[in-house]
Amino acid sequence: MPTLTLDGRTLSVADGTTVLKAALEAGVSIPHLCWHPAFVPEGSCRLCLVEVEGLPKLELACSTVVREGMNVKTATPAVRESRRRVLEFLLAEHPVDCPICDKAGECRLQDYYQEYGLTEGVYREAKERKAKKVAIGERLLLDRERCVLCTRCVRFLKDVTGTRELGVFERGAHSEVGILEGKPVASAYAGNLVDLCPVGAITDTSFRFRTRTWFLSARPTVCPLCARGCSIWVDFHPGFPRRPGSAGVYRVRPRTDEAVNGPWICDRGRYGYLDLHRRRLPFIYWNRGGQRVEMSREKILALVGEKAKSLTARNQGGKFGLVLNSNLTVEEFKVVRQDLLPRLPGARLWFADPPGGEDDGFLLRAERTVNRRGASGLGLDLAPFGSTDIGQGLTVLVVLSPFVGPTDTAAGLGRALASVETKVLVSPVETGVEGLFDFVIPSALPSEKAGTFVDGQGRSRLFGPALQLCGGAWSEGDFLSSLAAEISRAS
Amino acid sequence: MAEAKTFARALGGEGGWSVEAYLQAGGYRAARKALGEMTPAAVLDEVKKANLRGRGGAGFPAGLKWGFVPAKTDKPKYLCVNADEGEPGTFKDRYILGHDPHLLIEGTLIAAFAVGIHRAFVYIRGEYENIARRLEAALAEAYERAFLGPDVFGSGFALDLRVHRGAGSYICGEETALLESLEGKRGHPRLKPPFPASVGLFGAPTVINNVETLANVPGIILNGAAWFTDQGLPTDGGTRLFGVSGAVARPGVYELPVGTTLRDIIFTHAGGMLPGRRLKAVIPGGLSSPILRADELDLPMCCDALVRAGSMLGSGAVIVIDDRTPILDVLLRVARFYAHESCGQCTPCRLGTAWIRKVVERMASGGGRPGDVDELARLASGVKGRTLCPMGDAAAMPVLGIIQKFRPELEGATCRP
Repeated sequence: MPTLTLDGRTLSVADGTTVLKAALEAGVSIPHLCWHPAFVPEGSCRLCLVEVEGLPKLELACSTVVREGMNVKTATPAVRESRRRVLEFLLAEHPVDCPICDKAGECRLQDYYQEYGLTEGVYREAKERKAKKVAIGERLLLDRERCVLCTRCVRFLKDVTGTRELGVFERGAHSEVGILEGKPVASAYAGNLVDLCPVGAITDTSFRFRTRTWFLSARPTVCPLCARGCSIWVDFHPGFPRRPGSAGVYRVRPRTDEAVNGPWICDRGRYGYLDLHRRRLPFIYWNRGGQRVEMSREKILALVGEKAKSLTARNQGGKFGLVLNSNLTVEEFKVVRQDLLPRLPGARLWFADPPGGEDDGFLLRAERTVNRRGASGLGLDLAPFGSTDIGQGLTVLVVLSPFVGPTDTAAGLGRALASVETKVLVSPVETGVEGLFDFVIPSALPSEKAGTFVDGQGRSRLFGPALQLCGGAWSEGDFLSSLAAEISRAS
Repeated sequence: MAEAKTFARALGGEGGWSVEAYLQAGGYRAARKALGEMTPAAVLDEVKKANLRGRGGAGFPAGLKWGFVPAKTDKPKYLCVNADEGEPGTFKDRYILGHDPHLLIEGTLIAAFAVGIHRAFVYIRGEYENIARRLEAALAEAYERAFLGPDVFGSGFALDLRVHRGAGSYICGEETALLESLEGKRGHPRLKPPFPASVGLFGAPTVINNVETLANVPGIILNGAAWFTDQGLPTDGGTRLFGVSGAVARPGVYELPVGTTLRDIIFTHAGGMLPGRRLKAVIPGGLSSPILRADELDLPMCCDALVRAGSMLGSGAVIVIDDRTPILDVLLRVARFYAHESCGQCTPCRLGTAWIRKVVERMASGGGRPGDVDELARLASGVKGRTLCPMGDAAAMPVLGIIQKFRPELEGATCRP
């Protein structure tokens, strides 16, 4: 545990800690562009130079390991001057097109410029023109004028994904990041390049020009798309300043969590939200001969509650079927376990989950829901819903799952359900099977709920609501406890 | 004292590069002595005592450098001969490589023995194609006679020595970029520390020496450290190959004792100025060494004296500039060269050299404005001391030097009608 003096403060740090890490831990900001906690120091941006007592030149904070008794000064005139001069070089060739740059507001170059108070350009030569819209991946555009050649993107694809699609071509001031002809970035983690880029050089076509970053609010939640349960930020626009259609989700980003996903997420998790808003169900409705007849919560509750009650009264609880999915929260499973099932003795329970995929050996797990362990931990039987005889002997079927899909089972599902008298679908989004059900209830997305998931590693993951509940939606937990209350109400 | 010469035997002699000629002149006696009669520690000690300063540019004592390699390591150790002679004005190593390749092989052999290295590479400048062929022929001769290979001189010591040709980049003469290039990667300098002595080629301890440095080793071993220091200065011994170019009557490579004055080199040995020209300035040690004025010719050419004068001995490449050459032309060469050769890895060098070139090119094409010289000074000082490898300093120092020594002329040039 070497001890160092940092700007007059005495700090003890772990062996092998670099000056930059020690400073960050102590809350001292040292500007840096090329350094990133996930990579070995590159030392190329030259912004993090600091004064180390006894050494003739300024030293790199990112790569200098703390030695016992080291005296580091991060804010001396020489250090500030050095930062200013390096920034001057970076800005000399930078287009300074912040007004149309997606990164503006969260751009390090902008932040440092403000901090180091450059007021006017000192160099008078013309800037080099470079390509501003190079497609380097399905959703990625590269702006070479904005690029500061920190090579974080290159190193991510080399050291993290190992796919090596990006490289630095040419040399000197002509150096540029690029792909080989016809070999775009194809990594399933490509979206991370946008977060990694400290400036606006790599932008995401799904975000490009849609809003200004400062209008967005970031809320933490947990990604439900596989058993990893990556910690994420959901960036949404709360609707101010008012502009038609401005409210909504604009981005999903990784929320660094060393125990779960580190600083990354996969593109499935990142872009999974993209079409959700178009698929949201508008209101509770009754399917009357292809007509959607809007219903109130009270009416649908009374209807389902009545059916359930009459079944249990006749000791025919076995004719009530409930289908759940393992992206419901632990709290929702508790409602099922403790409030609903005891009031429906003999009721049958299934789980409708998406089919498993491949474990990609990095973040994405084979299990494509997050909370199976939350369900099994409460003793719920995870019997899969899907065999063709499911409808047999059922009078009422309530399906709480968006994963009953219109795929190969759709026709079979229709036949299987044909004999069921009352079929209710509770889902946050349309999946194409709505027509098979008598009643459809819009529910909440996981990001609109608070609760707990137990992820694939068995960790309890508490989260609050990242988003407001979509208009008309009824959270599954609320629906389930209301139904339980309705059933138990004395008739 | 100028009599005892290391290189004079072979230089200029036709056919002197063959192993027969080399043996006839007493070649490989030093290596036999080292491997047969001395311990590695004794060899190292002798080179340390000789205080052999590196001939590549930095002037770092070779013995010290060898001493940094850990004695005990579970990795192979490597020796890299830096023959990527790319510093503008420098053409001395090519004479050794082309005319006396066995001298380099012998020096390499002794160095490898001293440090306990069994694999060595000569990283030779890509443009030296013919020279590389001659060196390879010399290596074949040496292997044939068991001067290289698994059992050198039957002593049991093994050394494998190979030639690797560079691809034409100046930066690959920087030792860590050389290592990257030798490993088959893009020639980008590495962050130091770790230094090559502990983490070098393929992550293993590595010694990197200039050609001329190693070529001095046989003489030291054969004749002793005192013989070496007697030739030059006590702190900076031996002779050096001064490559004299520019406006002199007899440009060429001259082997002279360290400490010979610039005046001597230019006027006694290189035949003085071309007829009708007057000396205006001298770049004393390759393009990156700051320029000297005509009134600084009495400086002894040794590492320390030139540092004191604000320049450096560098590669010993003396570029003589006459009074017909506008200093702006010199600056233009400097600016273009370093902007062209910057590898682009770190910010100040990548952008600083490019902006220096932009300004100087505008000045040179008649677009000079008041304040340009200040802007240049600001750019160069922004690069100096802030880059990942020494090339930033190499690019900034000559610019600052020219500004310091020839400011009035430059300012006059910016106001040309």
